[in-house]
Amino acid sequence: MKENTPIIVDKKKNTFWEVVLKFLTKYRYFFAKIGISILTLALSTILLFFILRKIPGDIVELYALKLQNAQGITYDRAYELAKSLLNFDPNENVFAAFFRYIGGLFKGQLGESYLETGVSANSLIKTRLPWTLFISSVALFLSFFIGTNIGGFIATRRNGIANKISSSYIAITGSIPDYLIALILVIIFGYNLKWFPTQNNYDAFSVTPGFNFPFIGSVLYYAALPILSYTIVQTGVWILHMRGSAIGVLGEDYILAAKARGLKESTIRRRYVKKNALLPLITMLGVSFGSLFGGATLMESIFNYPGIGLEISNRIVNKDYMVVQGLIFFSAAMVIIVNLVVDLLYPLIDPRVREK
Amino acid sequence: MKENIVEFKNISIDYPMKKYTLRAVNNVSLNVKRGKITALVGESGSGKTTLSSSLIRCISEPGIIAEGEVIFNSNDGSLINVEKLKEKELRSFRWEKVSMVFQAAQSALNPVLTVRQQFYETLDEHGIKLTKEEKEAKCLKILDFVKLDSKRVIDCYPHELSGGMKQRVMIAFSLLLDPEVIILDEPTTALDVITQHYIFNLLKEINKTMNISMLLMTHDISVVASFADYIAVMYGGRVMEYGSVEEVFKNKLHPYTKGLINATPSIIGNIDDVRPIDGRPPNMLDLPKGCVFSDRCPFAKDICKEKEPETLYKEDGSFIKCHLFLGGEDNGK
Amino acid sequence: MNKEKFSDFLSTLKIFFKNLGHNLLNFLKKIFSSKKTIIGFVLIMVFVFIGIFGPLIFPYDQNTDVANKYLLPSTEHFFGTDWLGRDVFRQVIAGTSSVLEIAFFTAIFTVTIGTILGIISGYVGGVVDKIIMSITNIFLSIPSFPVYLLLAALITLESSVSLALIISLWSWAGLCRSIRVQVMSIKERDYIQICKVMHMSTFHIIFREIMPNVFSYIAVNFVVAMRNAIMASVGIMLVGLAAYDPTNWGAIINAARMKGLVNYKNILIMIYPLVFIIIFQISTLLLSNGLDETLNPRLKVK
Repeated sequence: MKENTPIIVDKKKNTFWEVVLKFLTKYRYFFAKIGISILTLALSTILLFFILRKIPGDIVELYALKLQNAQGITYDRAYELAKSLLNFDPNENVFAAFFRYIGGLFKGQLGESYLETGVSANSLIKTRLPWTLFISSVALFLSFFIGTNIGGFIATRRNGIANKISSSYIAITGSIPDYLIALILVIIFGYNLKWFPTQNNYDAFSVTPGFNFPFIGSVLYYAALPILSYTIVQTGVWILHMRGSAIGVLGEDYILAAKARGLKESTIRRRYVKKNALLPLITMLGVSFGSLFGGATLMESIFNYPGIGLEISNRIVNKDYMVVQGLIFFSAAMVIIVNLVVDLLYPLIDPRVREK
Repeated sequence: MKENIVEFKNISIDYPMKKYTLRAVNNVSLNVKRGKITALVGESGSGKTTLSSSLIRCISEPGIIAEGEVIFNSNDGSLINVEKLKEKELRSFRWEKVSMVFQAAQSALNPVLTVRQQFYETLDEHGIKLTKEEKEAKCLKILDFVKLDSKRVIDCYPHELSGGMKQRVMIAFSLLLDPEVIILDEPTTALDVITQHYIFNLLKEINKTMNISMLLMTHDISVVASFADYIAVMYGGRVMEYGSVEEVFKNKLHPYTKGLINATPSIIGNIDDVRPIDGRPPNMLDLPKGCVFSDRCPFAKDICKEKEPETLYKEDGSFIKCHLFLGGEDNGK
Repeated sequence: MNKEKFSDFLSTLKIFFKNLGHNLLNFLKKIFSSKKTIIGFVLIMVFVFIGIFGPLIFPYDQNTDVANKYLLPSTEHFFGTDWLGRDVFRQVIAGTSSVLEIAFFTAIFTVTIGTILGIISGYVGGVVDKIIMSITNIFLSIPSFPVYLLLAALITLESSVSLALIISLWSWAGLCRSIRVQVMSIKERDYIQICKVMHMSTFHIIFREIMPNVFSYIAVNFVVAMRNAIMASVGIMLVGLAAYDPTNWGAIINAARMKGLVNYKNILIMIYPLVFIIIFQISTLLLSNGLDETLNPRLKVK
């Protein structure tokens, strides 16, 4: 028997650029997202640069005087040194200044302090960021956990007392600015009852930093009030989001279908309502996490908790602008990067947008 | 064994709303014959879905059964009063005795679980103890039965299936626990004609080979003619006429049934004979006084607008609800 | 722009405002059907009343009177006196107008920028849309509060309007984005397509067809912008910046806090402005939620 002639396949080898093009089109979605993020970051840098142009020029002179006294050099040399250290020259034209600024960023120098020698935005991020991330992320995940559970629960009992209580809770915590809630807590538990400390991140006099129980205990004790107030504020927000999302899911046909299949209430709540309602909230959680890197300026200054936020507000008041812009640049970059990561990872958790 | 597998007895279903109470089903008594296909026909909002979901107590929120009861005569001879089932009994009653193919089969599957996960979950929750291999074999078998590529489909997420495939998955799903009755709520809406035909043949086959009784809801009268054994015509929350398909289609007694049949184009008939029913479907919050169909009925008499007609039963169990056929006054045919 | 187009623009505007007046009564009836709206509105009106007439009835005397410092509340000094013997009640009253001005101006600036850019972006689309969205992305990425502080420190603030400008400069982006989405969905609807086919002017389409549809959304966001303005401005003052008006509630709280919270008397002083802020924020929340429920029917839950 004679076989049918097979269709001739063009076996010409793909050139390098064809392979690249194929690769790019296949992951179009990812590259578009990455491109937009890079663009946003670049534009943010430009915007921050122009804000920086508003900085009064005398800070270089002040810094130069300081250097002159400290190092015993001539004023002119000190002035030159100050310009390069601060990465800022008030007499430069816009373009030169811009390239110098960008150059500094590419070298990883976010900004030198003119108040304290040896302190820079980089060194502050190294020492302060862990504290900021510690209190804010613990509070974020705690409030997410509590809020989504309560929100999912009250969505199924919309006429119950729990719904009324949480509605009032949301209204109250939602209408008072978060830092005022912190202030009220500090007044009550810090100054009046004296249960918790009102400043610092651990008891520097009696414990030594390291992996030992007194230190960890002290850290937790000092972090309790900040974490509590963050959690109080954010829980209401998560309840609100989760309730809305879960009410939407409860109206879906697959919930009724699951009931008709004789599944247990608990199974439906866990595998149907919660799983579906949580998906959009995961994105929000990621975005919220990205915004933690800048620290909560006011919360931290009210608790006198030495995080990035407290540094930002203190240094703005003390006119240490170079460091401040470095810290703001860092937090904007982190927002953009974390948003990008969340966008790219979302298909992994939601099968509906996963590509086969 | 009784002839009727399901008996709806004087069922009324209410939807309490803020200002009014909407009575979606009003004092309906209806039997579903064992091993047969009973069709519920009526326009949207006539109460078909509400009535049938009362069989598994799955009326959509906030509906409640105001009056009456639903009796289920199981094949094993036991008699189940659905309204009196306790939570746990109800759970096993659902799907083991009565399963349902939903109107919106497109969205009746959980989007974040695979078909396999949802099938296994249902088996597990009903306490059916099978090994992994047995479970898989059972699921693949029913998926094969509805002529799906079972090995591929079982690990798909719902969004990866086409509309017709989802519909067949739902039909396979309804067979999972070998139920005695399947409720089919417009199983072919949103599907193309060829798939529709295919699915109805499949259902007929299931009905014949597995001896599963069916309660089919549709507004497509032509489907009923070729597919069902019995027909109940619903209008405004009431069953207007019930009987075997041949009798009802031959006699065309009730004016509404007549209207429905005449409104359906036939391939061999003349298109000019197709006459839609005048007027609009009834507003359930503001039903006409007397017979609910009286404002659209071409034969309406004075009494129709005043008094709701009694139900007239015949010897073969069929019935009709219309003043035209009630004796007493000079109504005549 | 040629003359014909301009007169067309004017007449469209005229009809827009005429219709606005015509529908205003129905609109008011609709929005005041919600209890939340009524309570929120009345409370805000009370604040407006205090802001206008309060200083006339209870004028504030800035002069210090150290002999009478830290007095407890009495019939003479309703809220007592501060560390320099000044009447706290009169300070809070005097600060009301400054707080209201910030809220009001910020809301106007934010809504104006956000709406105009959002409508342009959504309606014109294409490159213009891409550019506006990139700009919006920047403002959404850079954390707002540190920038408020930075700007407040770099620019010498002398009035509520300049503070409001700074705050709105960094808070229009979210509104712009959501208005864009709304306009894009309205644009695709049939009646807008018909308007385009009939060669109606762009002004006509925007003011007569699109604006009325996004108006309810703008109204809600106006109130939301007021809330955010208070949140931001009080925050800026708590850091010690924008100290152009020492009677602003935020400034009073900060001054008391700087005096030291170890002394409970300072806590007593800050309680009053704190309570005023909380009541104001609750009333704006009630108003915005009430408006949202009556104007956006999709939120109604059966």
